Amino acid sequence: MHREVGRGEAILEVRGLTKIYPGGVVALDNVDLEFKSGEIHAILGENGAGKTTLMNILFGVLQPDRGEIYVHGRKVRFRSPLDAINMGIGMVHQQRKLIPAHTVLENIILGHPEAGKILDFKKVRRDIEELCRKYGFKIDLDARVWQLSAGEQQLVEILRALYRGAKILILDEPTSVLTPLETEAFLTSLKSMSRQEIALVPFVTHKLPEVFAISDRVTILRRGKVVKRIETKDATMKALAEHMVGKEVLFVLSKPKVSIGGEILKVENLSAMNDKGLLALKNVSFTIREGEIFGIAGVSGNGQQELAEVLAGLRRVETGRIIFMGRDITNASVLERLKMGIGYIPSERLGVGVIGGFSLAENILMSLYFDKEFVNRGLLNYKKIREYAEKVISEFEVVAPSINTKAAYLSGGNLQRLVLSRVIPKTSKLLIANLPTTGLDIAATEYVRKRLLECKEKGMGVLLISDDLDEVLQISDKIAPIYEGRFVSILQAEEAQKEVVGAMMTGAYSER
Amino acid sequence: MTSLETLKLKLERVPVVSGGQAVRISLLSLVFSFIIFSIFLSIEGANPIDAYSNIFSFALDPNLGLPTTLHRGLFLLFSTLAFVVAYSARLWNVGMEGQFYLGTIGAFAVAYSLPELHPAILIPLMLLAGAIFGAGYGALAGFLRGKLNVNEVVGCLMLNNIAFWLVYLLTVGGPWAGIAESTSRPLPPNAHAPIISYTPFTSYLAIGIAIVLYIFLSKSVVGYKIRVLGNSPTAAQHIGINAPRTYILVMTIGGAIAGLSGYHMWAGDPAFLMIPRPEAYKAIGDLTYWGLIIGLVCLLNPVAAIPTSVFIGSIMMGSTVLVRRLRLPFGLDVLFLGLVSITFAAFQFFYMYKVRRMK
Repeated sequence: MHREVGRGEAILEVRGLTKIYPGGVVALDNVDLEFKSGEIHAILGENGAGKTTLMNILFGVLQPDRGEIYVHGRKVRFRSPLDAINMGIGMVHQQRKLIPAHTVLENIILGHPEAGKILDFKKVRRDIEELCRKYGFKIDLDARVWQLSAGEQQLVEILRALYRGAKILILDEPTSVLTPLETEAFLTSLKSMSRQEIALVPFVTHKLPEVFAISDRVTILRRGKVVKRIETKDATMKALAEHMVGKEVLFVLSKPKVSIGGEILKVENLSAMNDKGLLALKNVSFTIREGEIFGIAGVSGNGQQELAEVLAGLRRVETGRIIFMGRDITNASVLERLKMGIGYIPSERLGVGVIGGFSLAENILMSLYFDKEFVNRGLLNYKKIREYAEKVISEFEVVAPSINTKAAYLSGGNLQRLVLSRVIPKTSKLLIANLPTTGLDIAATEYVRKRLLECKEKGMGVLLISDDLDEVLQISDKIAPIYEGRFVSILQAEEAQKEVVGAMMTGAYSER
Repeated sequence: MTSLETLKLKLERVPVVSGGQAVRISLLSLVFSFIIFSIFLSIEGANPIDAYSNIFSFALDPNLGLPTTLHRGLFLLFSTLAFVVAYSARLWNVGMEGQFYLGTIGAFAVAYSLPELHPAILIPLMLLAGAIFGAGYGALAGFLRGKLNVNEVVGCLMLNNIAFWLVYLLTVGGPWAGIAESTSRPLPPNAHAPIISYTPFTSYLAIGIAIVLYIFLSKSVVGYKIRVLGNSPTAAQHIGINAPRTYILVMTIGGAIAGLSGYHMWAGDPAFLMIPRPEAYKAIGDLTYWGLIIGLVCLLNPVAAIPTSVFIGSIMMGSTVLVRRLRLPFGLDVLFLGLVSITFAAFQFFYMYKVRRMK
């Protein structure tokens, strides 16, 4: 099945691809695409542009309602991903499909047709080592997957696809979880694969610069349609972004002038453990004042999550104190903190921020159920709750047929609006926003940032945790780069230079 | 065109199943099980239509099967409610069996030790003791889960076994042993409960509890907390819901409801008024597991569980005519019940997936 192909030959082609979901949502509308060997062909689009649907159709997870798929010019129909894999299509998921407790080698051979029979580990190892040499990958085949960094795990997925004979690799948001250093290495390996006549198809929502750096061709999807096909060398980043959102993009939000007021939160020498029982947050001290956005910039996994959880009351404090409005709340419960006016926007939306099986009103209730105004002798006052929910949902522009709609039916940006509409109106003093824009499209990202700035205008303190450096620089008043559980520094926004903060959060900066 | 063209069906995940769809799917599953059972009836030489009409006319005849249909059906309702309240927090209460035995012990202990009390005091006291004994037993499994993170299924099953032998110790040659072999001695006359239109008053109690539970789960703050915890323990933690305490609470409520069924089963039905032989009370204990099936089929809706439980009760009662009246082989009645339960469970699949034809 895997015949040798020359460079530039079309490996995979789709024509007239259309997918309509129950309920009439047109996810893909007559999409034609062609993927050639040795070419990096990026697919760009916002959330809801149809990228996920397209990816799922190319990998056999979903079937199109209309349209044809051709592999090497032969018309095919994928019943399941297995058919797609057998046709030489590989997929690298954003959410890794690996078994953490198994070794790299075991993960690579998992699901391989030969693996059901007697395993010749020596031969497999030789083959994979050969693959690594060919593409210039460096990885310890005997390491267990949980010990690997995000970038290395991605490599394992790529190796698994290649070992199964993939001639075309679909990459879902490939750089979203990588550190800058890993990203660089990853881009290099993509280049080397494309030289080996593999077609690469990265799907990208944000992080446009990286697309720019490596791709040969870009196709932009919007609302299920191809709106632009362009050779990368002829494109500008601004033009790509414009095509993605379909309007002039505001890359700069104006920060309102707000006078900084009294102290809301004072954190002294705070330390906390992570889930593995290792010290993840080390001796952090800072204050947040009224009308101030305190931004924490860092690569995921450097103690930000633990800091957010400690402040929200979800994690135990090892040492140090938390003073809120002059009161020691170091050991206060989650509920006490909520009642004091501390709001928390969790990094995970579905399942933590909101519950999919609950209606919008029931989700809003998560921030009301302890409020006497909505409770009458232990029973919920649904009339008041509904009125309130209608109000906040229209205020935060959550798009849904009614407040009885289940949250599971909302898309990413809408879900986050729902979370904001639940948390922000019930927050009076301090808002902790943990990765509030991660995974959102440009329009939704802008919306969330505007809302955070509004909180500041109202005199709240905001703690913003973000892995998007531009975001932190843009809307914060103070910036603390975090690295390995410590604040490297606390900078005033005006004096913070992007290169310096970037170096600080990756550990590349040392004050001498 | 390749050979990959053959398959024409495709499964799609359904995010949330609605009540109306659940009713349709459940009815469809019933029709399906009736059709399958018709095949067995035909093989045995019976006319399926004749058999079904016999089953239901017997089960619903006030002079024949109706009292038992209601009694058993509402016994199942107790088990279902005990399961539903715990499963709303996503705890698998499979301890209804043990809680039922404990409820039996509680109720009978009161009756044996205070036989002279006036019925108006004695009977409520028996119910109360049954509920408390069941609640305590449920709370034990809830405590193990909530505080010590012992899986509730394992905890419940072990406690069930202990409870079975506790009843055995008390009845078979124990302090409660009766004159007849291996049963307990009869209840004192003051403990005899009134029958209201064919069925013990506790049947109405079960229906009342179902309605109260419905309101509790859908309209009360505590019910809301239970449902948040059941849907997402992480979300519950983020909004300050105490998970261990809630786990203990749901198992306590569930245990109390299952405990009441101990009174309903043995003290409520004039056919018993004692604890029967171990095989007999174990057979009824096994019926409590229907609570899982009914609870899940009804999407945890306590009110929907009322007719469903009675319906299953009618099949339990009615299918006995296959052997007694139609002279069909032994075991066919049990087969019917098994088929209904297995198709009910299998059709749960359609609560989660939709089959779509590929063009």
